[in-house]
Amino acid sequence: MTHYSEDDLTLYYYGEGRRRAAIESHLDACAACRSLYSEIAGTLAMIAAPEAPERGDQYGLEIWQRIRHQLPEQDARPWRALWRSLVAVDRLGLAAAAALLVVAAFVAGRVWPRVPAPAAPQVAGVSAPAAADVSQRILLTSIADHLDRSERVLTDIMNAPDRGDISTEQQWAEDLLTTSRLYRQDAVEAGERTVASVLDDLERSLLEIVHSPSEVRAADLEQIRRRIDAAALLFKVRVLSEELRQREEAPAPAMPRSSTRKTS
Amino acid sequence: MDATEAAAVLARARQGDSDAFRALVERHSRSVFRLAFRMTGNEQDAEDVVQESFLRAYRQLGRFESRANFGTWLYRIVANCSVDHMRAKQARHDQARGDSLDEAMELPAADAPGPERMALSAEIQRRVQAALGALSPLERAAFTLRHYEGRSIDEISAALGLGTSAAKHSVFRAVKKLRAALAPLRSLQS
Repeated sequence: MTHYSEDDLTLYYYGEGRRRAAIESHLDACAACRSLYSEIAGTLAMIAAPEAPERGDQYGLEIWQRIRHQLPEQDARPWRALWRSLVAVDRLGLAAAAALLVVAAFVAGRVWPRVPAPAAPQVAGVSAPAAADVSQRILLTSIADHLDRSERVLTDIMNAPDRGDISTEQQWAEDLLTTSRLYRQDAVEAGERTVASVLDDLERSLLEIVHSPSEVRAADLEQIRRRIDAAALLFKVRVLSEELRQREEAPAPAMPRSSTRKTS
Repeated sequence: MDATEAAAVLARARQGDSDAFRALVERHSRSVFRLAFRMTGNEQDAEDVVQESFLRAYRQLGRFESRANFGTWLYRIVANCSVDHMRAKQARHDQARGDSLDEAMELPAADAPGPERMALSAEIQRRVQAALGALSPLERAAFTLRHYEGRSIDEISAALGLGTSAAKHSVFRAVKKLRAALAPLRSLQS
């Protein structure tokens, strides 16, 4: 008796294959193939389709907002294409420069002590958790500064006249966007979920500002404001910045006993 | 939007009318997201795929044949964008992926889930996710289209631009890996 392969039985399970009738009668007669088929069918039946997170009625509009300024222009006159490519290169350069600055600032913050270090002799005895705490504080301080700058952009947008040029705010938002992404990644890695979540909300709004026309229409501006408002973004940014400042000023956790003994 | 209206919107979009394309984006975004989520298994990746799919669709609108169904055409773009996205991601995390493959295949056999352990269905989901994460982008795409989306091998072949045999074998390889990952739980399930 010729048996059917696992692949044949997989196709049969999915209602495909040209020998369906033959397989069906074979399964009635052959215990080995029946057992294999039962195992394949049982396994595949266990795999349920994952539930996709729900997206609201406005989702299509959100997607449009995100992509509309990336759509290639239909009018592809040579000078315009050249201009677009130059702008793209320039933006990449700016993004790279901003990223480099952030890294440099972060490294500098770690290398140079921010205050004179009376306890310098302790450095050799500083434990890994203490060093991690210092680095965490530097990160949170930088994020608090970043939130303050972002708050000013958001406030400007909330108070901007209904029609007009927002290119200054856009330039500012674009600079903040690059650093915001880096800080969000750092916050995720540091386990600061709330911080990461607020930065994620902030990124969306900054992105929307950057991608709006510089001569913004009243309706577009209103939409940006509505989103900032709906996400309570300004409120979150202020509260989080304040909270991070408080954490910055809070006394450092006690040093491990072994370190304390060494310095006393 | 009825069929006549949809055809008119599509025609305008093909002529470069961005408002018409916006209507298409607004109409199809949610279904595109659902497919992208199933293909990638990750919300952030799915969002990226949604955006890239619409941008690609816009660039390729000139090649769309007006007799074809826009939804089907778009679904092919989403499938391919998902594969490209997962390949790019895989290239970035190649080492990590190797680890997860080992992990998926070496999950400890569950003798019997005691009361202290997570529910069986949760354990199945965990193993399924680990095993899906260990598939190649093409295997995952082919399996998703076959198993979750109910597409035939011929449709998968057309969507992913593969020969029928390649599409079939991508599904087979995926099924084999999933069976191996779920084998320890089969006895509990039956």
